[in-house]
Amino acid sequence: MLDSIKRSASLALVGGACAALALGLSACGSSSGTVSGASGIKAPPGVQTPAGESQTGGVRGGTLTVLNHQDFERLDPGQAYSSVDYEAVYATQRPLYSYKPNTFAAPSPDMASSPPEISSDRKMVTVHLRSGIHFSPPVNREVTSADVAYAIERGANENVANPYFSTYFGALEGASKANGGPISGIATPNSHTIVFHLTEPKAQILASALVLPLSAPVPEEYARKYDAHKPTEYGNYLVATGPYMFKSNGAGKVLGIGYEPGKSATLVRNPNWSAATDFRPAYLNQIAIQIGGDPNVIGRQVLEGSHMVQNDTPAQSIVQLAYEQHRSQLEISPGAGTNYIAVNNHKGPFANVNTRKAFWAALNRVAMNKARGGELVTNVMTHFIYPEIPGFEEAGGLKGPQVDYNDYPAGNAQVAAKYMRLAGYPSGRYTGGATVQIVGATGSPNAQDAEIVNQTLKNLGFKTKFSLVDQSVMYSKFCGTPAEEIDVCPSVGWAADFGDPQGVLDVTFNGKHIEPSGNNNWGQVNDPTINRKMEEAESIVGTQARAAAWGAIDRELVAQAAAIPFAFDKEPNIEAHDVAGIGDVWNIGAWDYSFTSLK
Amino acid sequence: MSVGAAELLPGTGGRVDLPDLAGSGALAARSPLQLFWRRFRRDRVALVSLWFIALLIVVAIAAPLVVSLLGLPGPSVQNPNLTNAFGSPLGPSSAHPFGVDPLGQDVASRVIHGTRVSLIVGIVGTAVATVLGTIVGLLAGYYRGWTDTLLSRMVDVVLAIPVLLLGLGLGAACEVRGCLGGHVQSGLGVIIFLIALVNWTYIARIVRGLVLSLREQEFVIAARSQGASDMRIMSREILPNLFAPIVVYASLLIPQNILLEAALSYLGVGVRPPTASWGQMIAAATPTFSTAWWYMVFPGIALLLTVLAFNLLGDGLQDALNPRIAR
Repeated sequence: MLDSIKRSASLALVGGACAALALGLSACGSSSGTVSGASGIKAPPGVQTPAGESQTGGVRGGTLTVLNHQDFERLDPGQAYSSVDYEAVYATQRPLYSYKPNTFAAPSPDMASSPPEISSDRKMVTVHLRSGIHFSPPVNREVTSADVAYAIERGANENVANPYFSTYFGALEGASKANGGPISGIATPNSHTIVFHLTEPKAQILASALVLPLSAPVPEEYARKYDAHKPTEYGNYLVATGPYMFKSNGAGKVLGIGYEPGKSATLVRNPNWSAATDFRPAYLNQIAIQIGGDPNVIGRQVLEGSHMVQNDTPAQSIVQLAYEQHRSQLEISPGAGTNYIAVNNHKGPFANVNTRKAFWAALNRVAMNKARGGELVTNVMTHFIYPEIPGFEEAGGLKGPQVDYNDYPAGNAQVAAKYMRLAGYPSGRYTGGATVQIVGATGSPNAQDAEIVNQTLKNLGFKTKFSLVDQSVMYSKFCGTPAEEIDVCPSVGWAADFGDPQGVLDVTFNGKHIEPSGNNNWGQVNDPTINRKMEEAESIVGTQARAAAWGAIDRELVAQAAAIPFAFDKEPNIEAHDVAGIGDVWNIGAWDYSFTSLK
Repeated sequence: MSVGAAELLPGTGGRVDLPDLAGSGALAARSPLQLFWRRFRRDRVALVSLWFIALLIVVAIAAPLVVSLLGLPGPSVQNPNLTNAFGSPLGPSSAHPFGVDPLGQDVASRVIHGTRVSLIVGIVGTAVATVLGTIVGLLAGYYRGWTDTLLSRMVDVVLAIPVLLLGLGLGAACEVRGCLGGHVQSGLGVIIFLIALVNWTYIARIVRGLVLSLREQEFVIAARSQGASDMRIMSREILPNLFAPIVVYASLLIPQNILLEAALSYLGVGVRPPTASWGQMIAAATPTFSTAWWYMVFPGIALLLTVLAFNLLGDGLQDALNPRIAR
């Protein structure tokens, strides 16, 4: 599945090793499987899911060995971004709110003592903090609201450059001029209360974003000297508030002690953590993380080893091996993101909505999903809000909106021809003179995605120019740069930063977010009606109301065939036979060190 | 090798009027080509290699027909029904003797079509490199002096270029929009350019060394003394004497270039799907080798046999053209 999920604030999904489809689950037996999450998606019998894993009763003690072929990207809570980072960050840091492992819809107060209070004008959010939470050594003192304020303020420091700040905290009063110093929109009336004042009625999205690591407290008197460096060096001198901390020396130095880039990391118990203040059980005494190695080798080590987990994406062959021979050691987590084809809505053949619908109808989404690993790890994608995110059911659930171009997962040439005729091509095939520029990403499964797309377009009569580049280049130089006028980007994807549908649809389909570079609205979707509905939905408060509003927007996107969806990702994770792993559905099922225990 | 030769032959062809020096035998003159062929055909391994290469060429030219005759689907026909629930491709069967790849494309069909890329790159790339290298080596060796210095330093500079890195760079730079205003597009053209760029230098060095020696030979001095122009001496007197070493070296370059194409395709610089290339197939098969060995093994075998055939042919040519160094 996903090598390393990139959160929505700036980048997209990295193509995964595997995925799957919705129909014909006979081989994996989903019809009699266990419900794997709030979306009701079932996993095959014997396979674990975050929803089915007990969060209590674990054996206390022991050392868990974690094998990761990927290294961390950023461990500073002000910078953390990828799912691998999150595994360590959420074991060591406590944001104001966080999700329990089995939910992506309802955050629990973490550093906060109660749910956020949103004012009636939706321009103010008040959060009360718990008492008795202390920083790890060498800081040791109790956490106050000023530490939370500094944590968020430093996100605007260019040396920290938090990737979410402008997206979710940009509506704070004074945020536009913030550079790391105090922000007028953040007030701390007492040591355990923090108040956010906004210039726009966007309190709900800010409140939702308080689950991000950015809201985890940072002691200013300790961190400021490190934040003065460009980039900040606080990540090398981390202090913790969670049950674990990176092993460090007396001065708090982590680099070279608790974390050796490219080699290893060690998490030990935070002596200042109090179980009475936290919902995390923290069974393990130590987490020893080994970095590097071939995914195929790592996977076999874990499946046949002891007290081990792999915490990044297993190789596709390992997933198959685990399913066939070590099924109880395999966890499948739904809601790991989306994969779709971005088509240029602004210019070229796909500026015509009927051409886009024809492409959608012609595409064999079953083949796309098989190329990503089969039905065990994907469902055929039928709209854009993905499972476990509020709004998924409102947008049509797994089956999706009932429109003829969406009704045939394996593609339907007749329906495709119908829409080509509606697009002005009487033969049912494209007869215009344009050559469609396809820019895909190298590597599996992205290259296969691109090949299927290329063949589909040729079957529709298009002349294509087919290119494959490195995935980062695909995003940064071509698909994320509107001036390049790429017609088709065959495998872009998205994962939400938190369980709110706005995080799935806004940046990717709202015309106001089209940027000259680093653009994440890859198809340059700029429909005034959709833009207006998104603007209205942004200020709606309440999970159900937001789910309804954004679900309706999703249906509108399907009606416009704004992009061609093909895979709802599920994420496989593997553990040794003597590990009671607990996966985080909110973090693509990655093992949660704070809940996992040894058998 | 000098022009003209004669030897005792029992047959009647090439008979000349000379005293009967061998009893009932006759002294017959044979052309260099006849002598070469006589020696070459004694080398069974080289002969088999030649036939194999000839077969490859036929297969490459008539790939669609061969695929059709074998009852195989086209190389770009995708069929997801030929993969299992995990997306793993199905193995060899009567309908698909080499199995299928993860897109359900027939591996045998793609291996057959992949012959085209390998041979085009191997033969065209080598031909370009050979022509270029021969010209440069001829000029450098014949004129010596500053011409030699300039060309030899150019050779040194080109030899210092890390070809794989250059290939990766060119491949990345020329992908999508092409290079030089779109005139150079990534794919086969870039591969052939790279191969020619790298390999002409080796040929140039060999030719230069031979020319330095040949230009002092009596037949060249004689031609010069008769007023022959430099161009005539190079083309009529020296070049024919370079034929044998150039052919031998070129025949050995072809397999190297086929391997280089495979390596570049493996690294993602080569031809783009849906065009089939053995290197590209091997690269794509790497992540699934443990569950779909056939996807890597069959193009690998094709590559191995082709390279082996060209190498053995090269050895045979060397033995036949230079009998004095024959093993």
